[in-house]
Amino acid sequence: MSITTIDYKGSGQHRLDMRWLQQAIEQKLSAKEVSKQRLHLGSEEVLIGDVFSINGSLSAVELSLTNSTTKLDYIGAGLATDKTLRIEGDCGHYMGQQLAGGRLICDGSALHYAGCNMQAGSIEIISDAGDYVGGSIAGNKRGMAGGRILIHGSSGDFTGDLMRRGLLMVAGDIGDHCGNRMIAGTITSMGSVGENAGSGMRRGTLLFPSKPASMATGINDCGRHSLGFLPLLMRDIRAPESAFQTLHPMRRRVQRYLGDASVDGQGEVLIWIG
Amino acid sequence: MNINGVFIEDTFAEAFPMRATRIIITGINYKWARHAAETMTGFATSVIGCKVEAGIERELGNHETPDGRPGIAVLLFSTDRKTLEAQLQARIGQCVLTCPTTAVFAGLVGEGQIALGKNLRYFGDGYQTSKKVGDHRYWRIPVMDGEFLCEETTGYQTAIGGGNLLVFARSLSQVLLACEAAIDAMSMLPNIILPFPGGGVRSGSKVGSKYKTLSASTNHPYCPTLKGLPDNVLDKNVEAVMEIVIDGLSIEDLNLAMRRGIEAICDLGKAQGIEKITGGNYGGKLGPHHFHLRKIMEGDKA
Repeated sequence: MSITTIDYKGSGQHRLDMRWLQQAIEQKLSAKEVSKQRLHLGSEEVLIGDVFSINGSLSAVELSLTNSTTKLDYIGAGLATDKTLRIEGDCGHYMGQQLAGGRLICDGSALHYAGCNMQAGSIEIISDAGDYVGGSIAGNKRGMAGGRILIHGSSGDFTGDLMRRGLLMVAGDIGDHCGNRMIAGTITSMGSVGENAGSGMRRGTLLFPSKPASMATGINDCGRHSLGFLPLLMRDIRAPESAFQTLHPMRRRVQRYLGDASVDGQGEVLIWIG
Repeated sequence: MNINGVFIEDTFAEAFPMRATRIIITGINYKWARHAAETMTGFATSVIGCKVEAGIERELGNHETPDGRPGIAVLLFSTDRKTLEAQLQARIGQCVLTCPTTAVFAGLVGEGQIALGKNLRYFGDGYQTSKKVGDHRYWRIPVMDGEFLCEETTGYQTAIGGGNLLVFARSLSQVLLACEAAIDAMSMLPNIILPFPGGGVRSGSKVGSKYKTLSASTNHPYCPTLKGLPDNVLDKNVEAVMEIVIDGLSIEDLNLAMRRGIEAICDLGKAQGIEKITGGNYGGKLGPHHFHLRKIMEGDKA
C-alpha cells in the first residue's frame, strides 16, 4: 500500500490552517492541482506548493505529514473514514476537529482543542495534549460525539468539556475541570486529575485510579460497588496498545460518586479500588 | 431399516419455520444464572399455548460471557418476530431483572434486532444510564443489589421448530430410558433446545380436533390405551410411546440432533425393549421442513 507524504517545508514563523488538506481530498484534487492552490500564511498569500511538497496521491488511504510543528492548526480536521494520517512532529490547535471517522496518529504533542467536536474515528497522541481535548469549540453545545482519543502523555484543563459520546483515554495526568458540563461518554486516566472534576456533569463516566484533587460540590459519594459494565468497558479501554493494558480486564470494584446534582446530573466519577 | 433391532420407519418428522433468538444470562455464580434461566424458560413448551418455546442451550464458562461471569445461554423460538420480542421482554422483565446478581446480553448477531433492554430501561425511572461499548449499547438500571445490566438489543434469525422423534417401546420404563439417553446426547449439541419438560413429551398431538375450538388434540393413533381402535397404529407389544421435540437454529442443527438422538436410542436396541422410531408426520399440514429419518441415518453411515 502506497503512503502519500506531505512534507512541511515552511519556516514555522506563522500559524497555518491545514483544512486545505480535507478540502483537497473531498475535491479529489491531484497533487499538482493542490500545489497551485493558495493559502494564507501570516499576512501573505502563498501557494500550497511553496510550503508543502506532496509526494503521491491524496486519494491514498495512508497519508503522512512530516516535519509538522505546533504552528499547523486543524491537522486532520474532518478526515473521512477510510483515511489514516500519521503526523511526524507536533500539532497545533484543533487537531482532528470534527473528525468524521478517519484515524490520526501524532508522534508528538498537540495544542488545545484536539479532537473537539469529533464524530467518529480515532486520535492517538504519543505525547501531551493541551486544553479542551474532546471538547467543543466556542458556541457549539456538544463536544466530542463519538470515536476514541488516546493520549499517551497528559492532557490540559477542561478535558472532555461538553463531551457527548465516545472514549477519551489519558495515560498521564489530566488538568482541572475534567468532564466539565459532560453530557455522556467516558473519560479515563492512569494518572492524577486536577481540581473541580465533573462540574456540571449530566451523564457519562469519569474513571480514575485515584480521587481528583477536588470534585464539583454537587457530586455525592455513593459508596463502593462492583459494576458489571466495567469489564465490558475495559475491553475498549485495553484494546489499543497503551499503559491501560496493564489494568486487569475483569476489574469492576470502584468507589462511585454521582452528580453533578447542581444540574440534576447523573454522571459518575468512579475510582478504582481493590 | 433396522439399527440394533430397532425399526426406523420410512417417514419424516415434519417441522415448521420459526424466529429464534439467543440471550446470555450471567450471574455471580451458576446457581443464580440458572435460577433466572430456568424461570424465564418456564411455561415455554409450545407456541400453541405459551406463544414461545424456550430452553437452556448450555452453560457458559467465565471466558465465554461478555462480563466474565458464569453464564447460561438460552434459546427462544416463536412463530414471528413480534411475538418473540414481546415474550422476550416479558420474560426478561419478570424473571431475569428480578433475579439477584444477573445481567443479560445478546447471544446472536442474526438477521435483525429485537429489543432486549431497550424498553426495560424505563424501569429505572429516569435513573437508568446507558453505556455504549464498541457497537453495543448497554443499559444500567439501578436495582436494590446494585445495577441490572442489559444489552439494548439482541439478534434474531429464522429457525426451525417442531423437529421430533417418536419412540415406541415395550414398557413405559424402557421408553423413558431410551428418551433420557437421546435427550442426554442431544443436549450436548449447540443451537438446539428440547423445550418440553426434561426434553420429553408424553402428550404428542395431532393437528385439529373433533372440537372446533381446538387446533390440536391428543395423538390418539399413538395412545396405547386405545389399542385396538380402528385408527390406532400401535402393535400389541407396544406399551408406551414418547416424543422428543427439537427446535434448532438451522436444518443442519436439527439433522445432527435427530441423528444423535436416534443413535442413542438404537444403542439400547431391541434388547432393551425399543421397538421402533418414527417421526411426527402430519401429512404436510404442519410445515415445509421434512426430516426423513432414514436419510438422516444413511447420511451418518456415509
